[in-house]
Amino acid sequence: MVIKLDEVVISGLTKNFDDLTAVDHIELNVPKGSIYGLLGPNGAGKSTTIRLLCTLLKPDDGTAYVSGLDIIESPVQVREITGILPEEGNHTLYQTLSGYENLEYFARLYDVPEEEIPERIEELLTFMDLWDRKDDPAGELSTGNRQRLALCRALLHKPKVLLLDEPTAALDPVAAKRVRELILSFSEKYGQTFFINSHNLSEVQRMCDKIAIIDEGKILLSGDTQELRTRFQTSQDFRIRVVDDLEKAGSIAESLDFVTSMKKEADTIVVTIEDPFNNNSNLMQSLLSQGIKLVEFAEEEATLEDLYLDVIKEGGAK
Amino acid sequence: MALYKSILVAKVDLKMAMKVRMVKFGLIGIGALGPLMMIGIVALLVYGDPVIGLLILPSISAILAPMLGMIVIIPASMIAANALVGEKEMNTLEPLLSTPLTDRELLLGKLLSSFVPSMALLLGSIVVSEIGTFIILWSVGAEFILIPGIPGLFLLLTAGPTLIVAIVAVMILISGKVKRVYEAYQMSGAIVMVFIIPMMLPMMTMEATGTVDINLVWMWNIITFLITLVLAASTWALAVRRFNRDTMISM
Repeated sequence: MVIKLDEVVISGLTKNFDDLTAVDHIELNVPKGSIYGLLGPNGAGKSTTIRLLCTLLKPDDGTAYVSGLDIIESPVQVREITGILPEEGNHTLYQTLSGYENLEYFARLYDVPEEEIPERIEELLTFMDLWDRKDDPAGELSTGNRQRLALCRALLHKPKVLLLDEPTAALDPVAAKRVRELILSFSEKYGQTFFINSHNLSEVQRMCDKIAIIDEGKILLSGDTQELRTRFQTSQDFRIRVVDDLEKAGSIAESLDFVTSMKKEADTIVVTIEDPFNNNSNLMQSLLSQGIKLVEFAEEEATLEDLYLDVIKEGGAK
Repeated sequence: MALYKSILVAKVDLKMAMKVRMVKFGLIGIGALGPLMMIGIVALLVYGDPVIGLLILPSISAILAPMLGMIVIIPASMIAANALVGEKEMNTLEPLLSTPLTDRELLLGKLLSSFVPSMALLLGSIVVSEIGTFIILWSVGAEFILIPGIPGLFLLLTAGPTLIVAIVAVMILISGKVKRVYEAYQMSGAIVMVFIIPMMLPMMTMEATGTVDINLVWMWNIITFLITLVLAASTWALAVRRFNRDTMISM
């Protein structure tokens, strides 16, 4: 018997559509209880990966295990323990049925015990601030509300693994923020594993513990979000405020080899340095050793953008 | 296999189909057309020339029964077209196929959503036709005869359901090949034209004189039933075997 410690284990998964290889022998491990982000441009193979994981598509090669269940050998059991929010999830509801009827239908299809259905629906709709709109036809709800309703549908049967395809696409910033908060609070409350497809870097950065970058069906990079951000960061900005002599601090910083740029903003200088992992302490020491009294020495939060663009451009050379 | 899940799918399908104006009014229109045609022909014969009309009425029954059958199988194709391709067009197929429904539960649900209303329409048409005929014959003081008669009822209640199954099965088979409901409607129209051919066979029993040999009518009705039975069994088996989630989603 094979024991899989990770909640989702993808092994050599491949899917072809005629001449196009949408997913090309990918390998990924998604730890239990994590929020895992699959990043990539449009057409990279993200949606196909999710459709393979929820057994909508059959792989041409390789397989995947969801909570230890093989997607090829046990498709029905895999569907029982997964919840899916398809791409453009807000369009995947029965528009003429009410929100409540939509959820009731799927609760029964997912074998939620009959006596628990009303309670479960009320809990989710209340949590998503949709209880007052429960009798409205789904088609009459706003895009954001429909997306939240689709998310309720995915969560109804308390799945072990949530597969969310672009959960905030087509949402306005407020609605997107609300959906992100809901995902984070559900992850915290129930410890479910989330596998999220996105091309929204800031979204992934805010939510995901781990990420993988996919392009042309191949995984170019995968790992811990914070670690990747640090590891591949070639430069970083530092915001510096000093007690009095800002000009002197600026001159010292500019004289250093590893400083690539320096700009002044009111009472602050923003210094960009190369190899921040090794050089941030050198910068601070240089300033202190020349009598500069620091009020603030803060690193600007690194983003995934540079990493993402580099990796996509170089096709995983890193 | 959980039958209640198939019934659940059928109920929601039917509810959704009834919200499509073309299907709803199509069902009402076609449902009314059969009995109206039957009663109209009986009225023309009986009130036109009662002597000849009452004489050839039993023979006409052999032709009218298959026509009633042909008319009520059309709604089955319309609902079936809406059931699978409609889900695809409305983008509800992906979440539905992501549930633990098995292929058999899903297909049985799709069959029931077409079969139940079509059978209700068929039985309703028969009852209305019989009542209409009774009133017309009673109004002229003639002896009551069943229109459709016993051979016709046999044909409708055996070949009718099997033909509905065959048409739904073919709609399932083509649902993986088309993207839009209107394409499915067009294809269903063409398929109905082919599938009603067996229903025309009993009409060949009428002789030039307008009379029929009742033994010949029975023979053709039984042959028609057997043909539709083979058609239903083979197309349904093929639909179950060929149903492919992959194709449904990839299209």
